[in-house]
Amino acid sequence: MLGNPATCESLLSPDFVRAAARSRLRRGRLRALLVNTGTAIALTGLLAIPLFLLGSLLPWTGFPATIWHRFDMLLAGTLRAAACAVLVAVPLGIATAMFTAHFCAPRLRAWIKPALEILEAVPTVVLGLIAAATLAPWLKTHVATVLALIVAVPAVLLAAGFAFGSRVRGEGWLPLWLLPLLIAGAAVGVAIAAHRPSAAIVPASPWNAMLVGLALGLAALPLVFSIAEDALFLVPRVQTQAAFALGATRWQALTSVLLPAAGSGLVAAALLGLSRCLGETMIVLMASGNTPIAGFDPLVGLRSISADLALGMPETAPTSEAYRSLLLAALALLVLTVLLGSIADFVRERLRRRLHADGHA
Amino acid sequence: MTRRRADEAGTWVLAGAVALCLAAMLGLLGLLAGAGFAPLWPATISELHLHDGSTLLGEIVAVYDGAEALRISETDRIGGAYRRVPTADIAAQWQPADAIVLTLTDGRRLFGRGHAAEESTLLASASRPAEVLDIVRPNALGTFARFGVFARNLGRFFGTRPAASNLDGGVLPALIGTLTLVLVMSVIVMPLGIATAVYLHQRRGLGVRFVRGAINMLAGVPSIVYGVLGLGLFVHGLGADIDRWFYADRLPMPTFGSGGLLWAALTLALLTLPVVVVSVEEGLARIPVSLPEGSLALGATRDETLWHLLLPAARPALLTGLILAIARAAGAVAPLMLVGVVKLAPALPIDGSFPYLHPSRQFMHLGFVVYDAALASSDAIRGVSRAYACAALLVGVVIALNLSAILLRNRLRDRYRALET
Amino acid sequence: MLSSIPEFPSSSIAPAGSAENADTALRTEDLSLWYGARQALDRVDLAIPARRITALIGPSGCGKSSLLRCLNRLNDEIAECRVDGRVLIGDTDAYAKDTLVHDLRRRIGMVFQRPNPFPLSIHDNVAYGLRLLGIRHRRELDERIEAALKSATLWDEVAARLDDSAFSLSLGQQQRLVIARALAVEPEILMLDEPASALDPVSTLRFEELLHELAQRYTLLLVTHNMQQAARVSDFTAFMHQGCLIEFGDTDALFTNPRERRTEDFITGRYG
Ligand SMILES: Nc1ncnc2c1ncn2[C@@H]1O[C@H](COP(=O)(O)OP(=O)(O)OP(=O)(O)O)[C@@H](O)[C@H]1O
Ligand SMILES: [Mg+2]
Repeated sequence: MLGNPATCESLLSPDFVRAAARSRLRRGRLRALLVNTGTAIALTGLLAIPLFLLGSLLPWTGFPATIWHRFDMLLAGTLRAAACAVLVAVPLGIATAMFTAHFCAPRLRAWIKPALEILEAVPTVVLGLIAAATLAPWLKTHVATVLALIVAVPAVLLAAGFAFGSRVRGEGWLPLWLLPLLIAGAAVGVAIAAHRPSAAIVPASPWNAMLVGLALGLAALPLVFSIAEDALFLVPRVQTQAAFALGATRWQALTSVLLPAAGSGLVAAALLGLSRCLGETMIVLMASGNTPIAGFDPLVGLRSISADLALGMPETAPTSEAYRSLLLAALALLVLTVLLGSIADFVRERLRRRLHADGHA
Repeated sequence: MTRRRADEAGTWVLAGAVALCLAAMLGLLGLLAGAGFAPLWPATISELHLHDGSTLLGEIVAVYDGAEALRISETDRIGGAYRRVPTADIAAQWQPADAIVLTLTDGRRLFGRGHAAEESTLLASASRPAEVLDIVRPNALGTFARFGVFARNLGRFFGTRPAASNLDGGVLPALIGTLTLVLVMSVIVMPLGIATAVYLHQRRGLGVRFVRGAINMLAGVPSIVYGVLGLGLFVHGLGADIDRWFYADRLPMPTFGSGGLLWAALTLALLTLPVVVVSVEEGLARIPVSLPEGSLALGATRDETLWHLLLPAARPALLTGLILAIARAAGAVAPLMLVGVVKLAPALPIDGSFPYLHPSRQFMHLGFVVYDAALASSDAIRGVSRAYACAALLVGVVIALNLSAILLRNRLRDRYRALET
Repeated sequence: MLSSIPEFPSSSIAPAGSAENADTALRTEDLSLWYGARQALDRVDLAIPARRITALIGPSGCGKSSLLRCLNRLNDEIAECRVDGRVLIGDTDAYAKDTLVHDLRRRIGMVFQRPNPFPLSIHDNVAYGLRLLGIRHRRELDERIEAALKSATLWDEVAARLDDSAFSLSLGQQQRLVIARALAVEPEILMLDEPASALDPVSTLRFEELLHELAQRYTLLLVTHNMQQAARVSDFTAFMHQGCLIEFGDTDALFTNPRERRTEDFITGRYG
């Protein structure tokens, strides 16, 4: 017995403890019930999405050809916008991930990751605003400038790296050196272009797939980056160290060890980026012109499934055929994204297991 | 040697990509800060002398190749007094120090020059009368006074209702709508998210794999699809039923049968549920196993260990989940367009009359104001600058939330470092 | 408190050479344990005398921690773990169907190898178990906390800062805090799993004094890797090897005159 003051009775009156113990068990069961109920509600809510869409389309009577035709154009528009965006997001995101995971100074890395997290947090309606209000009027006369920059910037970087690369120390901080140079270079390029507005390429509409691609690409960029970076960072250090020990340069270690090991993770990043672009609504809604046009021309407008849902749903009577065609479109979007997501998940899971096994071997 | 140099060149391209990302982010934030605050800043007034002898007094709102856009006195209606002046026509241009700007309560602006006496003449020149809200002589203001005007405009922006069909005035209802929505959503999503995370943490086996699979799947589903669910199931399904049972006397006027705060909050709760679950579960998993073992060894039941020790210890993770959910919800506009957001709501969803919170009311939202002002306003120039102001506010809120989530996460990590070594 | 334990006939499995009137506080019969397919304990028969210090020694991985975790059924938390045989705490069959596991665990305090204070204040760490038992009254809580901290010889050091975080204590203090936490709920038996392994030599000595004091009132079961420590503090010693209980007896006898060859090898350091 503890030397307890006289005021305290012993806990060990067995009846007291036993009774308390049983009521504690009962209380526990009640709370477990709460947890299970909460989980069940959450799960019901989540599963309601596919079930609702399937359920409302179940009394299937088929659609007339006009609706199918329109659906085709929406799908084409969705894919065209997503393709343009992926062309921006995937190369940029994966290149950034490669540098951050492999070359970057740790202190710089600690800044880049939150910076991109913040970019990810910017609501897409804001990117849509920038695209529609600021970028669109500019892009109208500067399609050629953008294309020229896309070619020129990497070319200049390649040349500069070839010429000065071996003389620069501390490549881990390279982006910070390049940042002002890049901004200055781009500004000069834009200024030159402004003095002689190029009529070489004039888009059919100021709202077009290229504009959507630029904004949507920026929106998907952080996602592609973070997943690619995770995959690259997962590769055990010992493997790259081994490559260094064999005399490989950093770049060789990247191409011969890191990329083969984490390649499937990069594919997963691209897939998730694509999935994100397919379903994104506000940017497409604000920057695409919203006219259904099929074809592959990046310089004409489009209307995507998501934008069609946002514009059409509130104005359609819930019993009409148009409403059910919208539900079908939503289902198509759901299936597409879930499919892409599952493939990406599968790939990532397998990669994680393999790298984990390797890491311990 | 050439091989080495080629490697360096590759590295430079990658570094260039990083620099480009950083530049994009900085440019984005810079643009928002600049264009967002610009509308609140007292604009300089210019007087243009044209070659044909006439003069124009007003605010230069845009400069094109070979032309300037000028807003002169809006005597009739807001947005109805833009002039496009070719540069070639301008003989001289200057900023008179005695320029006066009268802002009317309906958002119109009148420009004039002269002494105080001029102000009433100016007011009389308006073909449709209105009350004067504000009188400023922007060109004569010192730096300090400019900040004063800016602060006044900022206060009006935050604290008043919109005027002139959302082209002018404040964003108070949209701000309140956004906050109320997020609050109601949090109240719904947190218990569900925590319960699910606890379930996943405690159980093993098939059920867990199923729940986790479902959550992973649905985390990547686009927000607009959640909106479709909200409209189809909540508004047209549940809402219509509720109306038939409880509000039959008001039919065919819908009560819950049209979009409103409750349905929007529910939709967003589903949208953010995966975020909360993942974050809470991660927080629980991060707690070293020695803690629950210590608790069990003291005679706590598994359940008591969870509620009295693990969940309190995972509080930073709960908060992180909440903040991330709020940030995600505050930025999600597309689903709201289907479930109850409106351009101008007649009443706030939260007010002083019983029952204070009105779950069936339609509401305004900052994100929707951005969309609406940018694309659907009658005065494109005012609309865009207003959209930028709201966008800056929205981004400010969302970034602040995200930063606090990042900080909290770091604190959680530090906290358990003592136990992990 | 111990008075509530009925007299237990000190029967066949009591340690060889046990002091005459030592009651048995805890007994295992044919206790075997499997982690999946791997057997960690093999038919262990053990009778721990009440109000004595019993040391448990043996090479790493021989199953000492597993044995302790069987006694308070902490192994129940490991999914693939299976137990066979009987454990008697006083007269309670630990693995009987109607045993309330959490009450059983309260009666057996456990101190882990690394101190594991909860991320709470010092005060709340000790109050944790008491609150679970339904003691909410502020004064009663404070009195019991003070008593527990005094029993763990920690009171003088922390009396002035009960509301500080438990992590602000030194390792030695944390270990005593964890003991106070266990004592607060009035256990009958206190199991300590290498409690001194994280402590410096001076703290270890103080700690051993504490053990002696505690042995006046509690049954102590001490796992240690330190032979000198076992010899210094314990009354009885059990030697385990590869999941089997090899030898159990009076500490002096076991160390000076081991009956088994393996015991001798181990205590003389010929065995890792
Ligand atoms: N959770 C577990 N799952 C599977 N095997 C385990 C588990 N815990 C312990 N074991 C195995 O059981 C055996 C006994 O382990 P135990 O921890 O009881 O040894 P120990 O005597 O305490 O060793 P030490 O002195 O190093 O603490 C070991 O071989 C160990 O690998
Ligand atoms: Mg051990």
